[in-house]
Amino acid sequence: MRWLRFAVLILIVTVLQAGMVDILAVTRWDVKPDLLLILLVFFAIYCNTSEAIVTSFTIGFAADIIGPAMGAQTLSFGLFGTLLAYLHRVISIKKIPYQSAAIFMTGLLAGMLAYFLSLLKGQPAPSYGVIFGTSLYSGLVGPFFFLPSAWWMRMRTPRLKRR
Amino acid sequence: MVAPQEVTNKFQFAFAQIFRWPLSIGRNISLSARTRQPLGDVVSRREHSQLQNHLANVTEELVEKHRKVEELSGLRNRLYALQGAQLMLADVITGSIDGDNKLIINRGESDGLAEGQFVLGDNSIIGTISEVSARTAKVKLITDPSSNIAAKIGGLDVETLIQGDGKDSVKVQLLSIKHKVQMGADVYACKQPGLLDTAIKIGAVARCKRDDGNPLLWDITVKPACEIKELSEVAVVIMNPRQ
Repeated sequence: MRWLRFAVLILIVTVLQAGMVDILAVTRWDVKPDLLLILLVFFAIYCNTSEAIVTSFTIGFAADIIGPAMGAQTLSFGLFGTLLAYLHRVISIKKIPYQSAAIFMTGLLAGMLAYFLSLLKGQPAPSYGVIFGTSLYSGLVGPFFFLPSAWWMRMRTPRLKRR
Repeated sequence: MVAPQEVTNKFQFAFAQIFRWPLSIGRNISLSARTRQPLGDVVSRREHSQLQNHLANVTEELVEKHRKVEELSGLRNRLYALQGAQLMLADVITGSIDGDNKLIINRGESDGLAEGQFVLGDNSIIGTISEVSARTAKVKLITDPSSNIAAKIGGLDVETLIQGDGKDSVKVQLLSIKHKVQMGADVYACKQPGLLDTAIKIGAVARCKRDDGNPLLWDITVKPACEIKELSEVAVVIMNPRQ
């Protein structure tokens, strides 16, 4: 794992998520893809378990910095990123449809947990519709971000291995 | 989760401060992409109905204005929620001059006016009564920097505060960027027990961008619904009139 590259990637993606992704927003609920969620699943799939746990909490922290309140995303991303990393030890998530499904389910579960944590803290939280829409949108576009992310991180994805 | 809000906010503000430049570029690109869309082409059915109803009210108001004799009773019946209220018509004695966002009107305490009552001009809220004497009263306009009125933006289910900018506009305070604000959306004064029993239009969103000081909030400029400087007559809403 190249941690410096990881830090740069997270910074860039966080800035993009905070400032640029609004362009891709659809529907009147302002649903947009969650780039940090996509990265979370990417690292959970392509890193070993201990690295995946560290990256999950780090990405959650980044999501909190640009979110309405601190803490909720760190916990939910960290928890479900860890679970996904352990799940990946028994179930291979290499095909694009499986990756999409993993992003969708992780987004849904992490979003729901963050929602309830935000409610506990009395902070504003997105609606169920926005959580579902964001997870779906991220699941659809997410796998297409895997290849550039793998290139940047100098990781070998299964597709690259075949070459 | 357990860290104090003030501490955690510092992380968010530090991030916004450090990456202000790329964030502002992204914001500008996003906003320019949004503003290219034709405004008002697509509105929800509910919003459409609200606008139609409001248009009907305004039309009725114009008709009533031309019928001076029936004006007092006609105005009272204009809005169902204001039926129990008295709308006290008043002439403007002195208008807003050189940034002094106040009006003086020819009605006062003897006519039932009191501090805090809302003042209508051209069927929209233009301010509140700030001082009363026996025969006259001073209206603090919504454009006055010391004016704070609870308001809501049409289409959003959230209340916020509006504050005058000291010029010709009003700023919406403390509205999170989580809420999608439409350009041109109507802004209404929220109902307040004893002062206003129904939401009444204040103006429309004229500009909306992220707050430079706090990128988590909108910086919204609202243009009042009427030309306040050109008003010669206003109506004061008295919700519990003396018999």
